[in-house]
Amino acid sequence: MKASKPEESQSSDRYGRRADLKYALHLLRRNPIVLAGVTISVASVLLALLSPLIVNPTSWDQQPLNLRLCWNNPIVNWQIANVFNCGGSAVYPLGTDSYGRSLLQMIILAIPVDLEIAFEVVASAVVIGVFFGGLAGYKGGIVDEAILRVTDVFLAIPGILLAIVLIVVLGRSLPTLTIAVLTTWWPYYVRLMRSQVLSEKEKPYVERLRAMGAGDVRILYGHIVQNSIYPVLVQATLDIGSVILTVSALTFIGLTPSPLLPELGNLANQGIQYIFTAPWLILFPGLTILIISLGFNLLGDGIRDVFDPRLRR
Amino acid sequence: MRLYEYVARRLLLMIFVLLALSVLIFYLTRGLLPPTTALAAYITPRMDDSAKLSVARALGVATTSCPSYSAFVSLQGGCVVPLWGQYVGWLENALAGNWGLTLLPGISGTDTTWHVFFSRFPYTAELAIAGAFLTIIIGIPLGIVSATHNNKLPDHISRMVSLGGYSIPQFWFGAVLQILFVLYIRVNGSGLLSANSTVATRCVICFSGVVPGEIARYSGIPLLDGILSLNFPYFWDSVVALILPALTLAITSIGAISRIVRSSMMEVLRQDYITLARSKGLKENVVIYRHALRNAILPAVTVSGLLVAYLLGGAVIVEIVFSWPGVGNASLAAANVLDINFLELYVLVTAVIIVVTNLAVDVIYAKLDPRIRY
Repeated sequence: MKASKPEESQSSDRYGRRADLKYALHLLRRNPIVLAGVTISVASVLLALLSPLIVNPTSWDQQPLNLRLCWNNPIVNWQIANVFNCGGSAVYPLGTDSYGRSLLQMIILAIPVDLEIAFEVVASAVVIGVFFGGLAGYKGGIVDEAILRVTDVFLAIPGILLAIVLIVVLGRSLPTLTIAVLTTWWPYYVRLMRSQVLSEKEKPYVERLRAMGAGDVRILYGHIVQNSIYPVLVQATLDIGSVILTVSALTFIGLTPSPLLPELGNLANQGIQYIFTAPWLILFPGLTILIISLGFNLLGDGIRDVFDPRLRR
Repeated sequence: MRLYEYVARRLLLMIFVLLALSVLIFYLTRGLLPPTTALAAYITPRMDDSAKLSVARALGVATTSCPSYSAFVSLQGGCVVPLWGQYVGWLENALAGNWGLTLLPGISGTDTTWHVFFSRFPYTAELAIAGAFLTIIIGIPLGIVSATHNNKLPDHISRMVSLGGYSIPQFWFGAVLQILFVLYIRVNGSGLLSANSTVATRCVICFSGVVPGEIARYSGIPLLDGILSLNFPYFWDSVVALILPALTLAITSIGAISRIVRSSMMEVLRQDYITLARSKGLKENVVIYRHALRNAILPAVTVSGLLVAYLLGGAVIVEIVFSWPGVGNASLAAANVLDINFLELYVLVTAVIIVVTNLAVDVIYAKLDPRIRY
């Protein structure tokens, strides 16, 4: 890592990690795209944390009668502008949905729901991947073969399909949704961690640790995993976006606990039946998903550039 | 190890994986749901209880000592066959193609699950193949251009396309395409065939088994049927209907494959034999397309195996957005009415396709790249 930036190799030797951090900040400043990624992802997490303060978290259950009437009144001239302005465009900047709720408020309420599921899925997948993938790569032999074959079974089913089956069987709720997506996600992390450990365990320092009498657990989870986890963390950052895409796709097709639930895919789902009369219902929630997932993808790309010296050139 | 030994080993593994997968799916759908859920596909409301019981016995779900159907429904002790026994009965029926009657709304009980699935499957296959085709013809050139113009405008465009493709919700992209095309450009972009094309389905030059004037369905794939019956209006309609769904399906994988081609191309372009080819005075196009591309394309071949799995899965969402008459669209309906058999059949068929494709890709890869040893 250090050899590839000769102009800094002196200071890097002296200051170690601090120099690396400085270099990362330098890359950030030089690369506006990565900066955009950092900004978007930090902003979306902040928005998610602050969302209950901005919008009354129970307001998703309230359906203002006058707006519902405006939406469902056949006498109202059914034109885009009329429906959009049901409650007055100054009060509802993104329009109202078919339940008469402010779409902007619903999107703000939905962001933490999606992000929470995404973080839960990715964090659990990383933990499972580190544990089983590390075990498979380090032990080799029959342990490796057994773990690999189990991942084979899960990888042979298209993720969305497996998730649909799981949601049908386990019932429709947010925890089920999380479990269903996690079930389709963990095998990739096991594979990734395994391949990392396979190349890392041949390095001389592992031999040295073994000669010093370190136990397998300490060598694997104390040293090898620490040194080979960066690609996994990069993948995890990239996957936050993908998990949000998958979750919202599942809720979009209607696999939700409640059609009223503020969740980005679910909000878009009620838009599909009004796609030509009220296109904002699907446009804005989808755009939110796009921006958030783009943010995490840019962030992951940037982190990869920082940690992968081969891409620095 | 020789090639055939490798293939034999992989075939054995394949059978193991498929068996394990069938156990998984069986456990999920039959082990976690009450045994009567799956039975719904085999019994009709008009049957009396003794007929229902004999159906349950024939399927290997109820024991022969079970006194009555109501005892079976209330899960009385000794009435329900243990799970492993049920699995054997289920596997026998599954392999024999006995998947019961469909429970899909509208056609419930009038057709077999097997027939419904395979009459819809060609549409999904058409969509997935078209998606793979678009991925390859757009993604690979994009990757090549961005590698040869590293850090210049084409590279930036390709990066934006791939990042956008990773980040865009497919259902949203499909919906936006529909809004754009239908609301503003007024092209038939809804994924449905225009009204006159159903009439035009009738074959012009008919092959065996198809009466002139009847609707020609040789393969079930509209595009192919249009060519086979030399019915070009129908063919053209199917192409037009296919473009937007296929593009929506391919948008994510286009980005993925272009990034892979880009990085492997850049790796290859740094190698000595490329410098040699250039120093011999070969044209840049020849160097890139004759010399570099052959090696740079190899990782893309591996990924295209995974592509099938990805596209078959992603088709569920795209089919729903575009009201495509394939299996993905029906799987949602099946999920809503608890048509377990349809979902099981879908999972197993796609799994077989994915496993077989992966094996084929690995063998082709070994043939293309002599450096690969087993």
